[in-house]
Amino acid sequence: MPRKVRVSEKSRRTTAQAPGSGGEISRVPSVTPPVAFPIETLVPQVRLQTPAVGQRVTRPDGRSHGLGQTRYIDDLAFPGMLYAKIKRAGIAAARIRSIDTREAEAMPGVLAVLTGFEIPVNSFGPSLQDQPVLADQRVFHAGDGVAAVAALTEQIAAEAIEKIKVDYEPSPAVFDPLQALREDAPKVHAPASNIYETQVIRKGDVDAGFAKADHIFEGQYRTQMVEHVPLEPHAAIAAWDPNGRVIIHTTLGRITLGRADVARTLKLSLNRVRIVATIVGGNFGGKNEITQEPVLALLSKKTGRPVKGVFTRGDEFTASTTRHPFIMDYKTGVSKDGRIIARKVRLVADGGAYCSWSETTLGKACILSTGPYRIDNLLVEAYVVYTNKTMTGAMRGFGAPQVCFAYESQMDEIAAALDMDPLQIRLLNAFDEGAASPTGQVLHSVVLKDSLLKAAQRFGWKEPRS
Amino acid sequence: MTDVTNVTMRLNGETRTAPASPETTLLALLRDQFNLTGSKLGCDAGDCGACTVIVDGKAVNACLMLAAQADGRDVLTIEGLATLERLHPIQKAFEDNASLQCGFCGPGVIMSAKALLDENPDPTAPQIRDALAGNLCRCTGYAKMIEAVHDAARELRAQADALPGHKRRRAGGEMESA
Amino acid sequence: MRAFELVIAKDAAHAVALLAEHGPSVKVLAGGTDLLVDLKSASNVPQVVVDISRAADLKGIVITEQGLRIGALVTHTEIMRSPLIRELFPALADAAHTIGAVQTRNLGTLGGNLVTCVPSMDSGPPLVALDALVTIAGTGGRRQVPLTGFFAGLRKTLLKPEELLVEIVIPSENLGKPADFQKFGLRKGQALALVNAAASLWVDWERNVCVAPRIALGAVAPTVIRASTAEAHLDGRAITPEAMAEAGRIAASEAHPITDFRASADYRRDLIAVLTRRALANAYARAKAMREGKNGD
Repeated sequence: MPRKVRVSEKSRRTTAQAPGSGGEISRVPSVTPPVAFPIETLVPQVRLQTPAVGQRVTRPDGRSHGLGQTRYIDDLAFPGMLYAKIKRAGIAAARIRSIDTREAEAMPGVLAVLTGFEIPVNSFGPSLQDQPVLADQRVFHAGDGVAAVAALTEQIAAEAIEKIKVDYEPSPAVFDPLQALREDAPKVHAPASNIYETQVIRKGDVDAGFAKADHIFEGQYRTQMVEHVPLEPHAAIAAWDPNGRVIIHTTLGRITLGRADVARTLKLSLNRVRIVATIVGGNFGGKNEITQEPVLALLSKKTGRPVKGVFTRGDEFTASTTRHPFIMDYKTGVSKDGRIIARKVRLVADGGAYCSWSETTLGKACILSTGPYRIDNLLVEAYVVYTNKTMTGAMRGFGAPQVCFAYESQMDEIAAALDMDPLQIRLLNAFDEGAASPTGQVLHSVVLKDSLLKAAQRFGWKEPRS
Repeated sequence: MTDVTNVTMRLNGETRTAPASPETTLLALLRDQFNLTGSKLGCDAGDCGACTVIVDGKAVNACLMLAAQADGRDVLTIEGLATLERLHPIQKAFEDNASLQCGFCGPGVIMSAKALLDENPDPTAPQIRDALAGNLCRCTGYAKMIEAVHDAARELRAQADALPGHKRRRAGGEMESA
Repeated sequence: MRAFELVIAKDAAHAVALLAEHGPSVKVLAGGTDLLVDLKSASNVPQVVVDISRAADLKGIVITEQGLRIGALVTHTEIMRSPLIRELFPALADAAHTIGAVQTRNLGTLGGNLVTCVPSMDSGPPLVALDALVTIAGTGGRRQVPLTGFFAGLRKTLLKPEELLVEIVIPSENLGKPADFQKFGLRKGQALALVNAAASLWVDWERNVCVAPRIALGAVAPTVIRASTAEAHLDGRAITPEAMAEAGRIAASEAHPITDFRASADYRRDLIAVLTRRALANAYARAKAMREGKNGD
């Protein structure tokens, strides 16, 4: 028997009246009961199967996803919930002279406004705490949040942030990482240098290696900034309980780190912060650190109501982390039979406006930059620089995909120059069991050559191309 | 109309009414008024397909329709596919093939598949790809979705053939007796 | 989206009256695939939106005395599936198939595509290659203009604020004229054209020469343009691969492609030459097939 749905006049009126606004806002949604489905909990059988390898695995969450019953953060609603929007700077580098929120505050339906000055500790980050929750003194990239609004509807919040007036004093910006390396470039986080992380790996003697080499190959390889584009935008809902604890439902992946960042920025002890993460609609590294959580928490504190914030797709591109672009210079010395004798690498990672996960990215890139090849003489010098662009952070691979593009491209170029089969030159140089990584780690379960040979056989490497 | 009016539609087989202001999209109406949150907001611009629903038999982006444009129409969402007793064959095939990972694009993809199979019971792989081209997925690489649609098509044809006296529509549109 | 008033037009005449009544900042809602995206990002939202999507007299694909008449509200899916269009003008069906994806083709209309008037529109080149006309309705009555004239500039048409595009007509003398559409995008679906092109031609089989060729290019100028110098080169000339390749090269020199984040101007010029040649070759192949169809079995 289909359930009758009546829009209750009473519920519409009570949610529509903004305190002190004097007028009725008629565009406020009412909440009707959800559809009931028999949610069966599937017990994953894979652990009971022996051997597990080779068995068919059914994902336990597949049924709920297919039914459309999985509740992601934006699918959650709480009574009295408000909606927040964040105003983005729209300018790459500037000093903030003033922020005028009066017109926004006066709008019917707006219940609270927040600026960076109200954040107890306005800085966070997984390694360097160089990112403001909301920019207060300076703007470092165009996606910086400069103010936030909580309102009865998303539309009111979106209109309210347009009414916030920010007076900027533009400052010189730097966008090219190679320019940012130079001493005379504008300093993104003045007075600190733009180079905020350096790593060097030295092994053997590259100069002696080059002297011994029959051929030297040099090339520069570049990769671009990539955005994760998870289908689900960043979303969070913050609410407080009467014991002074904040509960944040969020798309955040690393919730223990996030909890620490929220506690730190809000000056709360850890035991007053509860982070609830649910099924996420794609992360890929882009949801590894807090974004709007402290903002929503403070808006919730100001209004006494739960506050939900959902990034627009535009926010995802400008205000969430991206993959580091890399500029990679490779100089490789090889013997005439194709053996790599020496390799010198310079990596410049575009570190965007904030450090985020750049340390990890640079570290991995460095170690992997010479490729899975036995090389006795190595020099890797790697830098990550600030630029006034969207912050670069974790994205699957963490620096590995970028350097892989470089060393594999150069491998093909070397093979072509020496008239060698690209597969043969790799087999000649590849790691074996017990080989050492550039940093001296002894590698086990090395199946590189086997894999290459099997793969080559499977896709007919030897067969002439039609 | 300038203000909130009632929009009435045949929603997942039931006649339902909800208030909507003119600028409310069909997606917002489904999610906020009917609490049918299976259709997702991924881009709000008709690019990602996460909001795909079926209106009068055609797959559309609910974020690109005003709620008022759905007045008097037949709307099918992901929540309208399964019954209390059983999953829809497309949902079953997606589950059996592990076609979804994070699941966010899932409802939209399944609705596009449903619209395809309603019209073309025996699609080729290129036809399936064409039908799903408006649904973006960042997790899976689509391959298992295409297999699942093949499986679902086979199952639906078998179910149709099992009905007594059933006339099966061939892919070209002509009717033939089972 | 900001709030606006929504009025629903019952038919074309009612729509025209509503446009006149509600003034110059009114917007027309047909399929909504362009308008809704616009309204969501614009800070100036019109006071009134006139929803014409229920006006039945703006639908329909029929043969009239004038030629093939396509109602402005015909969707891209309907064009793809219309037996008339598939028989008489398959290039337009092909072009419709390259627009967006299933969901946007089910909503998006031919009229909307023409009125939004982006340089890379896919429906424009095949219609221009068949000398299409458009009928515009206003309070003073209706007028008809060639489609090439309808495109006034970048994202601008001849339409005055109180006017409505009601139909697209392909003249009867061009029905069945062999034509082809080519598009190159960065993806096979949901892609804007880096370059698109359409070509049509008749063949004088006795002399094996080209008659009344048309070459239309998109995404390489502020509006869809005709490559008239390339057309003149082909007109009356023997149809050979060399002639078609030369026409492609001439067409490339007639266009003004830009360099943007999708492609360089040089790359686009290359594409124009290739796509023009392919469109001509396919149109010629269709002409041959039509002739063999008549003479054979």
